[in-house]
Parts: sequence; structure tokens; C-alpha cells
Amino acid sequence: MKRKGSFVLLAALLATVMFLPLLTESRATLNLITHISIIAIFAMSYDILLGYTGIVSFGHALFFGSGAYIIGLSMKNAGPEMGIVFIGVVAALAFGFIISLLIGVLSLRVRDTYFAMITMAFGELFFLAAIKLRTFTGGEDGFSFRVPDVLRDRVGFYYLTIIILIIVGILLRIFISSPTGKVLQAIRENEHRAEAIGYNVFHYKLYSAAIAGITASLAGALYGLQEHFISASVLGIDKTTDALLMTIVGGSGTLYGAIVGSAVVSLSQEWFTRLASIYPIFERWQILFGIVYVLIVLFFPGGLVRAFNGVPWGKRVNERVEFVKRVVQKKL
Amino acid sequence: MDTFVNLFTNGVATGMAVFLLAVGLSIIFGLMGVLNFAHGAVFMWGAYVGATIFTHTQHFGLALLTAVIAGAVMGIVMERLTISRVYGNHILQMLLTMGLMIILGELIKVVWGPNVLTSPTPAYLDGSWDFGGIIVIKYRIFIIFVGAVVASSVYFLLKHTRLGMIVRAGVENPEMVQALGIDIKKVFTAVFALGSGLAALGGAMMGPLSVAISPMMGLDNQLLAFIVVVIGGLGSFIGSLVGAVLVGLMGALVSWYLPEASLAVNVLLMAIVLLLKPKGLFGGGSVK
Repeated sequence: MKRKGSFVLLAALLATVMFLPLLTESRATLNLITHISIIAIFAMSYDILLGYTGIVSFGHALFFGSGAYIIGLSMKNAGPEMGIVFIGVVAALAFGFIISLLIGVLSLRVRDTYFAMITMAFGELFFLAAIKLRTFTGGEDGFSFRVPDVLRDRVGFYYLTIIILIIVGILLRIFISSPTGKVLQAIRENEHRAEAIGYNVFHYKLYSAAIAGITASLAGALYGLQEHFISASVLGIDKTTDALLMTIVGGSGTLYGAIVGSAVVSLSQEWFTRLASIYPIFERWQILFGIVYVLIVLFFPGGLVRAFNGVPWGKRVNERVEFVKRVVQKKL
Repeated sequence: MDTFVNLFTNGVATGMAVFLLAVGLSIIFGLMGVLNFAHGAVFMWGAYVGATIFTHTQHFGLALLTAVIAGAVMGIVMERLTISRVYGNHILQMLLTMGLMIILGELIKVVWGPNVLTSPTPAYLDGSWDFGGIIVIKYRIFIIFVGAVVASSVYFLLKHTRLGMIVRAGVENPEMVQALGIDIKKVFTAVFALGSGLAALGGAMMGPLSVAISPMMGLDNQLLAFIVVVIGGLGSFIGSLVGAVLVGLMGALVSWYLPEASLAVNVLLMAIVLLLKPKGLFGGGSVK
């Protein structure tokens, strides 16, 4: 029953999004929804780590930002051709793959807290590098670049991002339902048990980090193509904490929660920025985000989607126990 | 020689300030298993409170003391109100302290504004001594001295007092400590207060050393502290000290020759230690 309800809701949402360009001429609305879709891909990539593997990264902006930089630099230096866009996207994905493996190998062997610290260190390293290598990256001022005319069409790009969002969502859903994905969730529930049954937890966490890294780089590349502009701020830690907030607002471990979260967070950011330009008292609105963040962690650790779904937290835990039992039995 | 002494004192002085930040991080992790991402924000509060009090009263000792008290109070409030609710859940702890980091960092901008401020040095510590041609900056020697005194006191506290014994026992086995009739929750709060107070002291001393204080300094120094505890081993007192001096010296030397690369070299150092000894040079989980 519940499943049918959410299917209808999803279909209605999809139809609205698909026909929206016919209904409105507003470029701002289209841009905002394009932006939300791109950030949703980024937030979903974060959910793979936090929601499905149970590890926290504080340097995820590294992948997002470097994806955007790779596109920006290749557009600026090699010219706005579709072929270059293609090569740039492939390069961004390859970069995300290599760096996520590198960081994972360094940090995932010890304990999860190390992953959080070391991702943060690498994230800031890239951020500072982007600021200081001014001739190459444009530093804090950044640089703008041209993209191929096909991608300059707002409506076309709007559809492109939504299609990519849907494809990425389906691919990630397949990944987490695959045997590998099931093992990741078993690790999230009880790492020691997963290890005891004979899974190499370190390897599985590396897969998860690599998938998350690649997906975040893709989101970053799309972001670069939408903005036609890039500066060091795409690598800032607030990009990571935004993704984190989106994931926990929507409910970690759901994927679609990340989409809901990115819509909620992006819209409220937009709203607060506008308020701040009128009333200076709202200038430090980020403090509200921090408070919301703490309150969610303390009172709704399952996220808003679950809070509204009305699934009692205890029941959820029982489901998880059942799930781990199934995985264990399969292995035995 | 002059350059070397200069770089050396600067490196050790920075290392001492970072040590004060890292040691709290390390002991709090060792005892409670909490990696406190808001720790750098407390350090930054220490720097701002210290600079403000000093500017208004011209009394540096009072400024340091106020910073320590402010830090300890923040530690107690954070631990009692929020962190104590999520003991045992690493993910929620990290998310929660990250939220606290955002709040404390933004509050700094609310109170003091987002721009860089200067943190003045007291007159009697300003300037330098001349030892037969070798110039030594007074304030750096002061930091090294205070750092050494604080480090030895904390070491004494951990090794030779009842509280220290309870803390060390708690790191090994908190349930057993509780079973022996000790209220471990009070110990947790006390350690949080101690760690946060030390962090704030580190911040208040770092301010005049780097002259400028900004809302970025919390995160920057927290990263150094992370590198320190990864190198030294989370939970190890000696590890924090050795790691901090190493990171301070490394940063000072590299930034003399190639300013852009100082963080990169420290991250590289951390990577090498992680590859060779994943638990850090002195790692093992207990307060040694």
C-alpha cells in the first residue's frame, strides 16, 4: 500500500519536472531545479558512504570540486568542443576513482574515525592548493569558461541533468541491491560480524569509497558545465557539510532521501541568501543550519523522510537485524 | 645559524600550541571514543577571547586564564547537553561535533565579524633577545616554556594522581571502572573540560604568535592536530607531543623554503606514517 503511494507520488513528481519547461519561462526556476538535481547526485554519492556503508567523510567536496575543475580547465585550455567535454568527464571520473582509492587505502585500514580525519585533511589540502596555485586555478576569484553551444541551452541542459540524475539513481540502486551492496549494509550494521563471516571489510569499504568518489566527480563535472565558472569555493568544507546535511535531512540510507534533502537544503539556502540581502540579521544564517544539524542528529537520527513515514525507529532496527541474519545465512 | 635558530624556535613554538590542541583531542578520544570535530573551534574561541580580554585589560595572564575558563565551560556545556547523549555511536558523534563546529565557528563571525583581526603581544614579551649574535624572539621562548610546563603538568596529572589513574583505567575498560563504584560520567565531563580548556589555552597563545586571528584558524589548526594525532597515535600523550613538535618543525622548515607546500608536506608525512604504522608512532589506544 505504502509502496503504491510512493510510486504515484514519484510519477507525479517526475511528470511535473518533465513538463515544467513547457509551463514556465523562468530561467531562474529551471536553473534552480538543474542545480538541485546536480547537488542531489552529489548527496546520493555521500549517502553511499554514510547511509549504506556507515563511514563518514569530511572531504567529499574534494571529488565534487576536482570534477568541476577538470571540466573547467579542459574547457578553458582545449576549447568548448563536445569531444573535450566527453574527455573531461571521463578524466574527472578516472581522477575520482584514483584519489578515492588512494585515500581509502591510507585511511580505511585502521578505524572509521581515521577515514573522517584523513578525508578532511585531503579535502583541505586540495582546497588550499586551489587557492594558492593561482596561475593555474584562478584562486579564490576563479575563472569563467565557455561550454559547447549545445550545453548552453538551459532547457536542454535541464533535461540532460534530470536524465543523468535518474540514471545515476537507478545505477546506485542496482549497486546497493547487488551482493556487494548487501555486504556493505552488513558492514554498516555490524562490522565485526561481517568480518567474522569472512568478508574482507577493508576491500568492501574501498569499493564503496570508489563508487562514491566517481559519482561525486560526475556531479562536480555537471556543476562546472552548468555554472561556466569555477573558483576554489567548490572545494570548501562547507560543500561537504552541505552534502552531509542533505543526506541526514532526507534520511541516510535511502538514496531518494538525498534528493529530498538536496531540494530542502538548496531551497532554504536560496531563501536565506535572499533574506540576508534584505535583513542583515540573517547574514549568519548558516548558524541555523548548524543548529538544525545538531537537532536532527540528537532527535531524528533516521532523518526527516523516516520521521514523516511514521516507521518507528525500533521496527527499523528489527528489520535490520533480520536483514543481517539473512546475509549471514547465505554466506554459511 | 641565525635562520636555523629562527626556524627551530618558530617550529617548536607552533608545535607547542598545536600540542595543546592535539592532546585534548587525543585523550578525549582515548577515554570516550569521541573524535571531537568541534575541538578546533574551541581553540579558535580561546584565541578570540584571549585577544579581546588582553586588548581591554592589557593583562596577558588574565587573558590566558579567561580563555582557559571559557574553553572549559564550552567543553562542559557541549559534553553535558549533546555529546553525552550519543556515547557509543561513532557516526552520530562525528556528525554531532561537526554541527557544533559549524555553530561555534559561525558564532565567532557573529561576535567578532568575519574579517581577520590582530592579536597583540604583551609589551614585556615583544621583541627579542640577542645571544651573541643569535636573535631569539621572546614570545616564542615564552610559548615553548608555557607549553613545556603544561605538558609536564598534564603528564603528572595522568600518571600520578587519582584522577589520572581513573582516566587511564577508563581508557582500558570503562565498564570495569564504573563497576568499581566510580562515576565515570563525571570523569568524562572533567576530561572534556580539561581537553577544551587546553585547546583554548593553545588558541590564546597561538594568536600573538601568528599575529592575525581569523575564523579560518580553527579548521586550519584542527587539521594540524589531526595530522599530529594520526602520526603520534590517537590516545597517546607522548605521541601527541612528539607528533606536534614534528609537525611544527616540518611546517616551519618547509614554509621557509616553499611556503605553498607546508600543509602538503605534513599530509605527506601523515601518509607515510599511516602506510608504515597505521596506528601511529605511539599508537595502541591507551594514554601512555
